[in-house]
Amino acid sequence: MATLHVLSHSPFADSRLTSCLRLLGSKDALLLCGDATYALTQATAPLEALESRAGAFELYALQEDVHARNLTIPAWVKCVDYPEFVELSIRYDRVNTWL
Amino acid sequence: MAKSLLVISRQAPWSGLSARESLDIVLAGGAFDLPIGLLFMDDGVFQLSQTQGPAAVQQKDLTTNLKALEMFGVEDVYACGKSLAERGMFPGNLNINIKQLPQEQDISELIDRYDHVITL
Repeated sequence: MATLHVLSHSPFADSRLTSCLRLLGSKDALLLCGDATYALTQATAPLEALESRAGAFELYALQEDVHARNLTIPAWVKCVDYPEFVELSIRYDRVNTWL
Repeated sequence: MAKSLLVISRQAPWSGLSARESLDIVLAGGAFDLPIGLLFMDDGVFQLSQTQGPAAVQQKDLTTNLKALEMFGVEDVYACGKSLAERGMFPGNLNINIKQLPQEQDISELIDRYDHVITL
């Protein structure tokens, strides 16, 4: 039973990412879209927090939002497009969107 | 068999409509006898505070709605122990009875038990 957690808010503005990482299970995955992709900004605390957990869960980022922000993402982060986003939503037992 | 739903409420009662709306979802679900659970975490635990004066900001009292949970048959009401402790709150001094989830792992296990999750 695994959950796909979807974040779309900037990690520099609130605690969604921190809280999400706290309760993320080992079979869960995290998808960053919108301003949440700023978490992948080099040399920042959010990226460090994600890196410290690298490999412990699947991390995805929505390609077009990454490109729009001209972010260089680490190799272990999987970039997905919208059709793949849909596929992920179906593959996991449930989707938890942090509104 | 109806699908089960967990609502995670993580906003304080005064920061917009999230707190009221998450509670409305749960009460509506309870009215239709759906298997529904409610988890307070982060600033959402402030909704459980006994001392609130909503009239000062021209708002209605949310604690009345909280007390309706039991009447609507919603028994699975939880709060993140860490969020409570961080905010100087304890299970003993809240406005309703909740089950405290002390560990992060308890929360992921709770989520795993439900078909759907809504986080507001």
